[in-house]
Amino acid sequence: MSAPTALPPGPEAKRPAAEPLVQMRDIDKVFGGINALKGVNLDIRPGEVHVLLGENGAGKSTLMKILSGIYTPSSGTIRLDGTDHPALTPTQAAAAGIAIIYQELSVINELSALENLFVGRIPLRRRFGIGTVDWRGMQREATRILGRLGLNIDLNTPVGQLPIAHRQLIEIAKSLMRNARVLVMDEPTSSLTNIEVKKLFDLVRQLRDEGTAIMFISHKLDEVRAIGDRFTVLKDGTPTGSGMIADYTNDDLVRMMVGRVVQRTFLSAQPVDCSGSPVLTVEHVTSADRTRVRDVSFSVYSGEIFGFAGLVGSGRTELMNCLFGTMSRASGRIELNGRDITPRAPVQALKNGMAYITENRRQTGFLPNFSIMSNIGLSQSLKEAPLRGLWGLLNPKREHDIAEHQRQRLSIKCASIQQNITELSGGNQQKVLIGKWMATEPDVFIFDEPTRGIDVGAKSEMYSIMRTLSNAGKAIIMVSSELPEILAICDRIAVFSAGRIVEILEGRSASEETILSLAIRGRE
Amino acid sequence: MSRSRIAKFWDYYGTFCILIVIVALFSALSPGYFTKPDNIVQIFVQSAITVMTALGEFFAILIAGIDLSVGSIVALSGIVTGKLMVAGLDPFLAVLIGGVGVGLVLGAINGALVNYTGLHPFIITLGTNSIFRGVTMIISDASPVFGFPYSFVQALTGNVWFIPAPVLFALSLAVVLWFVTTKTKLGRNIYALGGNREAAYFSGIDIKLHTLIVFMISGVCSGLAGVLSTARLGAAEPAAGMNFETFAIASAIIGGTSFFGGKGRIPSVVVGGLIIGTINNGLNMLRVQTFYQLVVMGSLIIAAVALDRLIGRPK
Repeated sequence: MSAPTALPPGPEAKRPAAEPLVQMRDIDKVFGGINALKGVNLDIRPGEVHVLLGENGAGKSTLMKILSGIYTPSSGTIRLDGTDHPALTPTQAAAAGIAIIYQELSVINELSALENLFVGRIPLRRRFGIGTVDWRGMQREATRILGRLGLNIDLNTPVGQLPIAHRQLIEIAKSLMRNARVLVMDEPTSSLTNIEVKKLFDLVRQLRDEGTAIMFISHKLDEVRAIGDRFTVLKDGTPTGSGMIADYTNDDLVRMMVGRVVQRTFLSAQPVDCSGSPVLTVEHVTSADRTRVRDVSFSVYSGEIFGFAGLVGSGRTELMNCLFGTMSRASGRIELNGRDITPRAPVQALKNGMAYITENRRQTGFLPNFSIMSNIGLSQSLKEAPLRGLWGLLNPKREHDIAEHQRQRLSIKCASIQQNITELSGGNQQKVLIGKWMATEPDVFIFDEPTRGIDVGAKSEMYSIMRTLSNAGKAIIMVSSELPEILAICDRIAVFSAGRIVEILEGRSASEETILSLAIRGRE
Repeated sequence: MSRSRIAKFWDYYGTFCILIVIVALFSALSPGYFTKPDNIVQIFVQSAITVMTALGEFFAILIAGIDLSVGSIVALSGIVTGKLMVAGLDPFLAVLIGGVGVGLVLGAINGALVNYTGLHPFIITLGTNSIFRGVTMIISDASPVFGFPYSFVQALTGNVWFIPAPVLFALSLAVVLWFVTTKTKLGRNIYALGGNREAAYFSGIDIKLHTLIVFMISGVCSGLAGVLSTARLGAAEPAAGMNFETFAIASAIIGGTSFFGGKGRIPSVVVGGLIIGTINNGLNMLRVQTFYQLVVMGSLIIAAVALDRLIGRPK
């Protein structure tokens, strides 16, 4: 999806005279003391495509959830059809014709296209005094609406067998049948081909010209330019700009999305010496499907924290899985201190001195049925055991010492290391997982989104742990979608886009702006 | 006692409490007969085979799987052992090949199929249960094999000092497996696999290798149970072990093994097997007809597990 040149330029944005359908005024939303949104204003007008821009976590989804009545704003008003509401309920929002097409489509794959269109409101027809499904009426109505969208499919096909673009159209059709006046589309192009994107845009323009108000959420500036009329940029929950897209350049828009004061608190004291031989060398790694990770090469030096920045879904986690042997590769070679260790399974990565703190603690991190002590001791005992970790007796005394040592070193807050790990807070669970890998004494650490879902205090602890490890000569790789944290800690930053490294930047001189524009545009 | 302390106590001793309740119940219903020392010994002997299959089943359930083929492994290993002895092989070697060997191979087939197809063990062992039973019928021509050396029957049904051999067998197997689960890395890895398969994989556990081993353990337990059953009957029955999976699963679950994987203890599973044996024996003492026994047995299983959930799961 990096051929935006294939998209036609948008038609001259029409200056709408229409009254806004929805006006959101001074919207604040506070979650547990943190302002997710602050003073946001948003006008949604019929016959206009309004683009909502912002980084991951800027507050776009929160705002849309307020619009659709899922969240209640902490303060502010929503003006709808001439009445001011302090908040909408989902029913009110639906009645007002506000419909959201999420990135994760909500069609039911097992049902047919026809059933999906009418799900929850199947029309009945009385026959012999019994209410029966009015299939013929449904067919008629569905054919009409799909014809309007230019979708010609067999209505009886299970939706799971249709291409994603068609599923999306069915979802759009579903909302149109419910008389949608405001259609919110959350990153609708993320899994479409260029031709499908073009078709979707034609449809969006058609709907717009028929008077539907469209809210379009996207990261891709070229698409935004092709389809949008008006825009609003959010940064850390605050609006940083709005206007007509035609009046601004892409650089202007990127500047509005970034621009915090960068704190480089956790950078190494001295610039890292990259003249010697690296600890870790990665050469030409390509994933088995040849799309998610494509020909990635880089090196990490002793004492260095090497960051991977990029958009969610750009393939960074997949790259880490390719490095650790948890995802199959088409090609690639991984060297540790000059020795080929290319792992085919995590057990080999473990034995050769790699550690991987995954992005999802619950799914791929801890064992919910184990104590803190056993969670920490597990990988260490496997690393020492012959026969792929199979053989040998447990050594509870030694394991206790190891776990106790890690508890003190990482200051894990717990009553005792015999406690079950599920009783800990997110940050402390994360520390246990780091302790588990530190106990295996690896040379390379991969941290994938290490601060996700942990509180601010624990975050900065996490950074100092990483810096301490790197000062001890370990090679550290960090994947993060939060630019401030990448800039605060990484010595070098690889900007990742569509399965490739676009560019490797020096951490000391990189800015949010350069990283984001590289990540968004990809390789020209 | 607080709610969570009750739960903790129940986790450890719940199965034992259920056993006591059931013993008390039968003692009251059938005074005199049930509590006779002879009958108590008889309960232990009768429970031995159930306990052995339950021990294997425990491992399969521990990794959030199941093994429905225990009954047909009992039958096939019995037939092979019997055939080998009738062919003149030394009984000890026959047990080694027919019990241990056949159990290992059949378990390995289960494990390999689970690993290779990625299907749930329920499906795989549902299929192999039928396959193994079919093979048993084919090689035995659906008729029992008998005429074993007296030494074989004597060794497996007599007493060692004062302990009945079947009890000693089941107990030894339980002790070995208890050691595996609590003292070895293999055992801990299996618990890890059951607790969170993906996290175990990312932690460096070879999950396919461990899955294979789990089903081999289950196979060996059933294989040995098959040998024991053959000795007790004095003949290898092709129809032996019918419904054994029900009793094995019931014992493991009554013994507190979690269907979601990663939780359970060998001693409780042994007590679970004893509970099943006691119910069987008690119903016989009360002269309940076989068909009614099935009904009562099923109801008691559901009641025991429901009770366990009621007490053991604080809201």
